Amino acid sequence: MRSYLGIFKMQFKSELQYRAKAWSGIATQFFWGILLISLYTAFMANDQVNGFSISQMASYIWLGQAFFVMRYIYLLPSTSEEIVSGNVGYKFVRPINLYNQWFSEHLGQKVSATLLRFPLIIIISLLLPSTIGLSLPVSITAFLLFILSLIVGTLLSVAISMLAVYLVFKTLSDRGAVTLVSTISGLLGGTYIPIPLMPDFIQDIVNYLPFRYISDLPIRIYIGNVGISDALVHIGICIAWLVAIVILGKILIKATAKKAVIQGG
Amino acid sequence: MASIIDFQDICKTFKVPERQTGKWKMLSNFFNRKHKLVHALQNVSFSINEGDIVGYIGPNGAGKSTTIKIMSGILTPSSGNCQICGFVPWKERQEYVKNIGVVFGQKSQLWWDVPVIDSFELLKDIYKIPNEEYAETLKVLNKALNLDEIISRPLRQLSLGQKMKCELAGSLLHRPKILFLDEPTIGLDAITKLAVRDFIKYINKKWKTTIILTTHDMSDIDALTNKIILIGKGQILYNGTFDNIKEKYSNQKIIQVELSKEYEDFNLDGYEVISVNKNFVTIKNLPQKEFHTKEFINQITKKYDIVDFQISSISIDEVLAKLYKDYEL
Repeated sequence: MRSYLGIFKMQFKSELQYRAKAWSGIATQFFWGILLISLYTAFMANDQVNGFSISQMASYIWLGQAFFVMRYIYLLPSTSEEIVSGNVGYKFVRPINLYNQWFSEHLGQKVSATLLRFPLIIIISLLLPSTIGLSLPVSITAFLLFILSLIVGTLLSVAISMLAVYLVFKTLSDRGAVTLVSTISGLLGGTYIPIPLMPDFIQDIVNYLPFRYISDLPIRIYIGNVGISDALVHIGICIAWLVAIVILGKILIKATAKKAVIQGG
Repeated sequence: MASIIDFQDICKTFKVPERQTGKWKMLSNFFNRKHKLVHALQNVSFSINEGDIVGYIGPNGAGKSTTIKIMSGILTPSSGNCQICGFVPWKERQEYVKNIGVVFGQKSQLWWDVPVIDSFELLKDIYKIPNEEYAETLKVLNKALNLDEIISRPLRQLSLGQKMKCELAGSLLHRPKILFLDEPTIGLDAITKLAVRDFIKYINKKWKTTIILTTHDMSDIDALTNKIILIGKGQILYNGTFDNIKEKYSNQKIIQVELSKEYEDFNLDGYEVISVNKNFVTIKNLPQKEFHTKEFINQITKKYDIVDFQISSISIDEVLAKLYKDYEL
């Protein structure tokens, strides 16, 4: 555990080195938030879609932007760089598991980057008028379940990123594979279009996939679109997905590591 | 003394896709890829004693790095046995790697964006080093490598030499029993090179660390160790003292002669002309002919009018080049 905390701390320190990155991230998130809210307000002229009000939609978008780094599937540049360059050899000579090293690096980066970005976005969006701003959570229970599901969702997001790491490790190329995983999970997870606004038949498909549990579920618990008892069931399903995807990732990375040839030098 | 590394009949074969040129061949390759087998190591056996410094040398592509990678648990050999510190590296990797430190001269184990000391702190956590032991080790390393000034700066701001010092320190924080150095002096200036060599010797003495290093810089070998293992084309060609090899080749001398004037075609029985530059001639004795200074002076003064001459032994690099040539590497 101590080793993983150390890795976590290191990512935090690295993240703090990049202030410009954090500021530009915040600015981008604001821009996207306003853009998406204007867009969907225009579409939702009759005020309610599938029991989803404009103010709920605005909260959905703002929370999505505030926790964007957590929900977005990507690879750390250092990870793809070390795999392609062969520097990953050093990960093999450490007395800890390869998968766990990558997992804690990504988790550390996601959490630290989020911590640097979300407070400002949340505060400002709370100050906006309720039709375009963030509303308070529907209840304290909902808020606590939101936190819990956000934590599980973040772990799930990292677990899915590990599948992308596997693809890079396998193909030794960080293009294509990662973009594919990232786009698919974003589309099916509600990053681009809020899931409640999707047509019913697409919602039916999306509900059977793991991606919606990353950020769609926590946000909908917060805005009251998913009730408390439903929330508990869904968090349970999310944990099951998490366990399954972690096991899959571990098996795949272990198998690849066995055959890996660290080149050069 | 007990051997700490035992390599027995290690073989490593890579399956490499065969690339052909020409557009039709490339197209057919795309659908039907052919592979060929490359034997990187063939029946490599050796053992290394505890506390030794051993130079592992050979030309590029001989299999040095492959051996280091097998020894550090990164690669699994195709066949053969290997015991290091009582472990089979690739089978019990996680337990085993606590006993070793590795420096790949062309790669970095430290984090790019943060001060070096932060990287060290992380390594401390990864290896679960107790606080007092860590403080003590760091003090020793700081003193031996003069790290005080550079340790608080981010790695990206350091020069190559400073980086290498930090890499060395990083690989020794957990006081490994064995240290693998893959080309530790590559690209370093003369002063840093000397500092690195002194440091390696110092650690070996102080902590009885067994050190295996690969290098192309023969002066590294000369300064650090007398034990070498020579590998070529995936096979061990020589395992013994460096002195033996030097002796075998060092009967050859290089003589620079300054003549009183320019001679049309300079030649001397039993000597090979290396270069002629006006009235300066460089020659060396043929390997089959033993060199005697008196005999040489008699022979040359009979034929030519000389002003000055200088005799030198052939350099270590030349010894090695000859060695490679003799083994047809």
